[in-house]
Amino acid sequence: MMNIMIVGVGGQGLVLTSGIVCEVAKRSGYDVKSNDVIGLSQRGGRVWANIRFDKKVYSPNIPVGEADFLLALEPLEGYRYKNMLKEDGVIFMNERIIYPSDVVFDKAEYPIKDIEDMLEAFESYAIDATKIGKTLGNMMVANTIILGMLAKKLDFDVAIWEAVISERVPKKAQLLNQEAFYYGYRYV
Amino acid sequence: MKQEMLTGNEAIARGFYEAGGKMATSYPGSPTVQILDACKQYDNVYAEFSTNEKVALEVAIGGSFAGVRSMVSMKHVGMNIAADPLMTFTETPTNGGFLLITGDDPGLKSSQNEQDNRLFGKFANMPIVDPSDAQEAKEFTKAAFEISEGFETPVMLRITSRLCHARSIVTIEEPSHNATKPVFEKDNKYAMIPPASVVAQHFMKERLEQLQEKSPEFDLNKYEESNKKDVLIITSGISYNHLKDLGLDISILKLGFIYPLNYDYILSYTKQYERVIVIEEMMPFIENELKLMGITCEGKKYFSFTGELDSRDIKNGLIKAEAIEGEIKKPPMVLETVKRLPLFCSGCPHRPIFDMLKKSKAQMVIGDIGCYSLGILEPTEISHSIISMGATVGITKGIRKAMSLGQKSEPVVSVIGDGTFFHSGIPSFINLLHQQEDFENMTFLILDNRTTAMTGGQHNGGSGNFNDQDDLHVDIKALLETIGFKRIFEVDQYDYKATKTIINQEIAFEGLSIVIAKGQCALKYKVKKTPYYVDPSTCIGCKTCIKTNCPPLKMKTYEGIDGFKSSIDSDMCVGCGICAQVCPVRAIKLLDGKEVTK
Repeated sequence: MMNIMIVGVGGQGLVLTSGIVCEVAKRSGYDVKSNDVIGLSQRGGRVWANIRFDKKVYSPNIPVGEADFLLALEPLEGYRYKNMLKEDGVIFMNERIIYPSDVVFDKAEYPIKDIEDMLEAFESYAIDATKIGKTLGNMMVANTIILGMLAKKLDFDVAIWEAVISERVPKKAQLLNQEAFYYGYRYV
Repeated sequence: MKQEMLTGNEAIARGFYEAGGKMATSYPGSPTVQILDACKQYDNVYAEFSTNEKVALEVAIGGSFAGVRSMVSMKHVGMNIAADPLMTFTETPTNGGFLLITGDDPGLKSSQNEQDNRLFGKFANMPIVDPSDAQEAKEFTKAAFEISEGFETPVMLRITSRLCHARSIVTIEEPSHNATKPVFEKDNKYAMIPPASVVAQHFMKERLEQLQEKSPEFDLNKYEESNKKDVLIITSGISYNHLKDLGLDISILKLGFIYPLNYDYILSYTKQYERVIVIEEMMPFIENELKLMGITCEGKKYFSFTGELDSRDIKNGLIKAEAIEGEIKKPPMVLETVKRLPLFCSGCPHRPIFDMLKKSKAQMVIGDIGCYSLGILEPTEISHSIISMGATVGITKGIRKAMSLGQKSEPVVSVIGDGTFFHSGIPSFINLLHQQEDFENMTFLILDNRTTAMTGGQHNGGSGNFNDQDDLHVDIKALLETIGFKRIFEVDQYDYKATKTIINQEIAFEGLSIVIAKGQCALKYKVKKTPYYVDPSTCIGCKTCIKTNCPPLKMKTYEGIDGFKSSIDSDMCVGCGICAQVCPVRAIKLLDGKEVTK
């Protein structure tokens, strides 16, 4: 069973991102189940998705401590779900911080040290994908960069990744997304 | 064979289409909102988000009476308002197949309560089917229409939030059924007054008995036999898949048709085992049904009565029941760290209102259901009550009347959104005028963003006032004037000072007043104007802007400037300008260099 967890903040495009991974796994011949936790997602709350694929998948939920990959679209959210990772799990992180209100109101400090310790403890790839996306042409491709990283570690044919990403992003953003995908792919 | 990844919700819409469904109605509510959205993609289907769940159910009843396969979907609490037509509709035979989808929410992920609507199905004398993943959601939808037409009964398809939002592979087929029946004939079996309604009681009972007898033939259940004969697990819905995930060598009777249960059928399995353990989320519904039939079983004493049961919960329960061996543990999914509360979106028109209320003399603010429910949470923490759709109006009147009896005159403020106003607020507004005393201070704030925003921006009765393509243009002010209200103000939520003046004036006013605060939902209508920035050399670091709690705002240090100053993430800012209006020193400016006018 391959277990992939994606975490982030409402509005970051988590549903689109998890949908792409699912479709690629499906086209590669696997049984796939996923689970997007939405709800207050459009209002800056925390959001997460589980993706599982194998010959046969029953539950869409990844048990605690069994995620092979953690895609953290925001660092604090990545840290929050650290327990989900296997001991030899891999982290792909967008380093761009989205401050929660407690930090904005000085009620809490953003846990930079905890996040750094986590990145030390696991095989980790962390970049400011938002900034790189902006340099490439649009910060909206940040998640595609992270997907490129994941793709490097999975056995799927990159042609399938390319096809699925192209189908699911706006037409005028297709080229930019390919570029972003390969940026992440080469980074790992 | 074509296959697609679909959510449970999308699979139900697909099943409806493949079953030749023609009429789909709903009121938006998590977790089922996507069903109707997905129905809209299909040809020859009439799909509408109705004003509320009661109206949605009634429109679908009309569809069934007229001979087409009809489906109404709603979140679990929607059943409460739809219960009136439902409880009588189930006394009549259906004509076109009829399916009621209820989206229950174990764990209250996006709801105010956790009611188990399987009890509603039984209460209403309806058969209930309970799918366990998206493929089954599609198959059961189709099967339910066959059962409905075969027995002239409405059928309840009960789903839970996890199933609604989980995606899995679904086989896509073409529509197989296209038979539309003639419109129902004039017949007293559809007119529910005595004596027809008395006769209908017998019809309902006999219909249930026939369903009970025939249910094993529906082929919606599944039996998996292990060699071990000590324990039989009876389960249904998504719990089955969480159980299967454990990979146990244990016998399972998975029920797809969960009400009414057939005694002989169940007994034929249970009698082979020493113990029967029922695994189900929320109430012990199946367990109680089995016990009523005289089948010995256990269940809820090992599993939580509330929340979801994931695979670990199921494992723990089975260990507790000594059905399997192992160590009971429940590692936490999330670490204790800085919390992240949801907050009003960038540019949300509601934000300034809550900022004003926090600074106002309002002692008591009675909220309602919608995005503005967030007014309960930090940092606003100004709303004091949320009960059900539209309840704020009646509750506010009750509080006012009770306070008046005790000679208390503190202002009471009620907050309601436009979607909720149209859903069920209007009758309560009319009721305000009954026995109204001039001196009774009540201030009603109607937050009008022209959409049902919380569920993703569906239209409502006033959407057409912003969006020309929409056919609903109800003018809330004109409506309230027609009802007979005298003191109504309309304000622009983005004009901070003018709005604040009116709100404070009306809170102080000794009488009943209504303030309609208008401003389009920044998310739904994709508001993106010139962003603002903070000039750190002018900023005094007072945090007045920060306290409006807009996502792009935070304090930071600037090179060469002492202390913390405010800042705005221009990528997130949509240019509503509220922060610039509250800034006491005009340190917040437009990025394009133009003058800030307000």
